[in-house]
Amino acid sequence: MLPSFRMKREFNALLFAVLLFVGIGSVNPVFLTVRNIALTLQGSVMYIFLAAGMTFVILTGDIDVSVGAVLGMSAAVAATLVRDGYPLWAVVGGALLVGGGTGLLNGVGVTFLRIPAIVMTLGTMGILRGAMFIYTDGKWVENLPDFFKQACQICVYGINLFVLAAVVVVFLMQLYLTTARRGKYFAAVGDNLDGAVLVGVPVVRIRIAAFVVSGLCSALAGLVYTSQIGFVGNVAGNGTEMTAIAACVIGGVSLAGGTGSVAGALFGAVIMNTINSALVFLKVPAYWNNTISGLLLLTMVLADSLLHRYLEEKARRKRLNARFARAAERRACDDARA
Amino acid sequence: MVEQNGPAPLVEVEGMVKSFGENAVLRDVSLALRRSDVMAVVGGNGAGKSTLMKILSGIYTPDKGSIRIEGREVSLHTPSAAHAMGVYLVPQEPLLFPNMTVEENLSLGLDESRADVRRRAVALIKRLDWPLSMSRQANSLSIAEQQLVEILRGLLRSAKVLILDEPTSSLTFAEIQSLFKLIKELRAEGVGIFYITHRLDEVFEIATHVAILRDGRVTLEGPVGDFTRELLLQGLLPSESRKGSAAARTKTLHRNAPDAKPALVLDRVSGYGFRDISLSVYPGEVLGIAGVVGAGRTELAEAVFGIGKLVGGRVLLEGADITGCGVRGSIRKGLNYIPEDRRRNGLFGAASVRANMTSAVLDTLGRVFLPVFRERKLTSKYIEEFSINTTGQEQSLGALSGGNQQKVIISRILATNPKVLILDEPTRGIDAGARGDVYRIIDALKAEGLAVLLVSSDMEEILALSDRVVTMYNGTINREFGPGEIALDGLMAASFGVC
Repeated sequence: MLPSFRMKREFNALLFAVLLFVGIGSVNPVFLTVRNIALTLQGSVMYIFLAAGMTFVILTGDIDVSVGAVLGMSAAVAATLVRDGYPLWAVVGGALLVGGGTGLLNGVGVTFLRIPAIVMTLGTMGILRGAMFIYTDGKWVENLPDFFKQACQICVYGINLFVLAAVVVVFLMQLYLTTARRGKYFAAVGDNLDGAVLVGVPVVRIRIAAFVVSGLCSALAGLVYTSQIGFVGNVAGNGTEMTAIAACVIGGVSLAGGTGSVAGALFGAVIMNTINSALVFLKVPAYWNNTISGLLLLTMVLADSLLHRYLEEKARRKRLNARFARAAERRACDDARA
Repeated sequence: MVEQNGPAPLVEVEGMVKSFGENAVLRDVSLALRRSDVMAVVGGNGAGKSTLMKILSGIYTPDKGSIRIEGREVSLHTPSAAHAMGVYLVPQEPLLFPNMTVEENLSLGLDESRADVRRRAVALIKRLDWPLSMSRQANSLSIAEQQLVEILRGLLRSAKVLILDEPTSSLTFAEIQSLFKLIKELRAEGVGIFYITHRLDEVFEIATHVAILRDGRVTLEGPVGDFTRELLLQGLLPSESRKGSAAARTKTLHRNAPDAKPALVLDRVSGYGFRDISLSVYPGEVLGIAGVVGAGRTELAEAVFGIGKLVGGRVLLEGADITGCGVRGSIRKGLNYIPEDRRRNGLFGAASVRANMTSAVLDTLGRVFLPVFRERKLTSKYIEEFSINTTGQEQSLGALSGGNQQKVIISRILATNPKVLILDEPTRGIDAGARGDVYRIIDALKAEGLAVLLVSSDMEEILALSDRVVTMYNGTINREFGPGEIALDGLMAASFGVC
């Protein structure tokens, strides 16, 4: 059962996503129209980027709760730049700088300064939330040029540009993590840190890189957010870290580190966004969103950790029992000889 | 360097010194390993075997000393540097990536394409004739298979020197046989092997050379043909001077009449890591449980106390069955346990000496509020009685030395008025002065009629404190020593499985 287990996790997530669509569609058929499915996917793009970046961090066994704040700050920076007429490369560059810089800071804090990841990223989250408020003077960033707001409507061969971009980015990441020589390093660090050191994996660099990737992805999510919403309020990205983490876990990325894939995280992100938008169709008030995300997250984490504990305990008992097996076999062997 | 007669040894270690804090683990170790040698490195716990091997594999940096590989002086400051020089350590507990396949485990960290690694690995597996599928997930492998993966990792890195750290400690008999076959094949190819072990049988079965380590020094070294079992045991025993000091302690048996009832009886208890253990301890008696690490002693102690699980047998405390009544139940009924690892299991480092001492009796001291006066009285009583070196009751426990921490923990347990006390390695990492204090405390407890189960790997400690001794080997009791029979050589032999 175990060898196939890893692939099954992504498959389960995909199956869950399909069942979710069919289930909600059977209650309200409007949900299954092409237009609505397209809208749901477009709404997922932001979460796909967040969850894909988060996957790198969780694979190494850490966690990044600053992604929502990074999304907000990079959205604010991008929005002011584009509003003030800066060229597109500067807008994108500004956002990525915020994301990459925060990621680097997180990574250095966690590795060199040995601050637990949850505390370090909670700290940068607070700093960024405050910095964003100061930067925007607490006002919304509005009056963005039309070309920027309409970017989210562009279609390539009938597929939304952002959806396409998200899928391509995730595909490339998946390819890197599974086939590149160093792609496996991320999972290795989270799977067995001592073992990774022993086979010569540059553990510190990999952990920092994971945080940088997460920061950059959050910045991309910030750009998507700005274009789709058309303005940046000062609570932009609030609470999205929970959705991102839940998306990863539902997609089969184990919080214990070492297992999971960005493809799974993509499915997880679609599921999370589908649940949120489905509540509208099921006429459930929107303020249930967070409650349901939280419940789902805890359920998945619990199931995951129970499974882990069970496997670990089983392995330990087997190891301890090997002692007598050896003694008994030796005795049997001696008897046979005699 | 100048070429001597014949080729230079594969590895030469010279004047290796390493200490951790004030604890000197290696004091001047020199060893040489040639191609096709299998050098068994034997020694008691804390002799420095693992430290030496960790230095060789780049995990620790030595304080002093040099390493030469094939005549060239090298500095191995990271595992990758050691790999580059052809030294690979197969740790006692294999450090695989459980969620990855065998192939991924092998190729990770290597700078060549996966296809190449796969090709070479498959060729190696075929040549060694060991059935192992490349696509299996590591967490489905047996320990032996995991070890094979570790060895393959070393071979794929073209290791010339393999270090096997107690490779057979969790293998079955058949698995051991196939490991030995592999070692012989590796020898034939010129690979040099350091083989760390606790099992003397294996030394004679597989090694070409033997090095005995004791207290951070090599006490005996040479081809295995020069050794006999007796000589090996002799080399493991402490030097005469220390032997004398241990024997000089006088022991008084406080066990009263022959019709006295045992305080604790274990009736054929079994659990994970130990099986079929029967023993009894009487009031006013110290029963030593000797053995080497991995014999199942700590697992036994924890299961009896209620931390681990018992799968069979009964635990009787003063005749009453307390099997499976859990930690709280054991403490309430008068059985208590002081674990081996103080830092992890025993102490509240940031809390005060007083808070630590009374933490086990909070229920009984007062109903709702803590009577500060009684807490103070209790604490000062033990500080005085055990001459605990502290600036005051308010000092945080973390600031005390290891020996004084241990005394605080013992007093805390005594405050619960136990009838039976299990001590697991009570003086590990404690300086000589405090060790004497702890011994005196144990003697005093005995005089007060407490029954003590003493788990220790330090044979002198067992010898100095115990009235009777049982030795454990591979999870079962293999020998018992009555009051007149306790002697170092016998204890050592039984601990290493020689009866």
